[in-house]
Amino acid sequence: MELLTLIIIDALFAAVPAVGFAMVFNVPKKMLIYCAIGGALAHSLRFLLMNFDVQIEWATLIASSSMGFLGLYWSRKRLIPRPVFTVASVIPMIPGSFAFTTVIGLVELNSAGYSIEIMQIVTENGLKTLFILGALSFGLALPSILIYRGRPIV
Amino acid sequence: MKLTHEAQTELTRIAVKAGQILHQHGAESRLVEQTTQRIGVALGAQSIELSVSSDAIVITSLFEGNCVTTTRRCYDRGINMQMVCDVLRICVMLEKQLLDAAQVKERLARLKPYKYNRWLVVVMIGFSCASFSHFFGGDWPVYITTFFASAGAMILRQELAHRHHNPFVNFALSAFVATSIASIGVIYQFGDKPQIALAASVLLLVPGFPLINAVSDILKGHISTGIARWVFATMLTISVSIGIVTSMTLTGVSGWLSP
Repeated sequence: MELLTLIIIDALFAAVPAVGFAMVFNVPKKMLIYCAIGGALAHSLRFLLMNFDVQIEWATLIASSSMGFLGLYWSRKRLIPRPVFTVASVIPMIPGSFAFTTVIGLVELNSAGYSIEIMQIVTENGLKTLFILGALSFGLALPSILIYRGRPIV
Repeated sequence: MKLTHEAQTELTRIAVKAGQILHQHGAESRLVEQTTQRIGVALGAQSIELSVSSDAIVITSLFEGNCVTTTRRCYDRGINMQMVCDVLRICVMLEKQLLDAAQVKERLARLKPYKYNRWLVVVMIGFSCASFSHFFGGDWPVYITTFFASAGAMILRQELAHRHHNPFVNFALSAFVATSIASIGVIYQFGDKPQIALAASVLLLVPGFPLINAVSDILKGHISTGIARWVFATMLTISVSIGIVTSMTLTGVSGWLSP
């Protein structure tokens, strides 16, 4: 029960950035609701999986591929290209903090000199960035890689 | 169906216009390629061959041994999904034969990018980054600090983008503003862990769309455009980090590398 409350709170907080960034990408008004639902579902699914000790990369892959297939359904239904919903929906899962920590660590390595602690931060965050991002994009591309294989979706 | 040379030239121009609009407004290369080919074939060409690179498209239409080739530069106009939707809708209507060549041309020329009210976007981005601060474990005071820091940065980002400033300069300055406002919260110890606001307030500057497009281009075989997008996104990330580091050096607040 407590977990359910946490998931609902997580979903609500994830819907806000999905809509916010969808507006930066100028997603049409009628599609904003799909971005909100997609963002909430994908992020809360990842939250749930990570709660059961699934690694963040695998949890991201599962969440983003479910978003990819959900986007496929919506896109066929509304005749709208898939990136319109899917990219905004996965924005809450983008490893932005990891990416910035990596580069700030690199800047620090240059200005303060080499140290093992900072190198450790750079390596760990850099690898997290790469693998989470790979999982995100691969998950979204999965329907067109597996099912459509070069044919147009809409 | 017979196609005169003039008609073939016209068809090529219409197809390249559609591809150019898609490319300029941030569609992935596969979508640019497919849509251009579909429009060309629907208008009567036997096949459309095109090469999509990071800043231009080259297209050739073939009809009974006749080739017409044309090139368009694609300057970045900023991501606009509404334009992508509209071009695709025109393509689908053309394939269902609801439109003819002249109508397609007229509709493509009439497309105008829709933009949300800028203050609405500022407020929404403020709330978005504030929600990220919740994911990092921040409390309500941190939420408020993050809101103002990222909203301030978004105002600057829109203003500079409106004046066509270089995106790298734009992102570095916006990151500087976001970090400077958020560090006020750290200096006055506003909330439990005010450092969270430093990390959350710059997340509006993550180049999420270019990064996802980069990987998906590479996955779908457009390696060179994928690499170009990846490098662009990496450069944006570096600019943002430079902005953050400059602000932290000036204010003496640190919060990124300490675990």
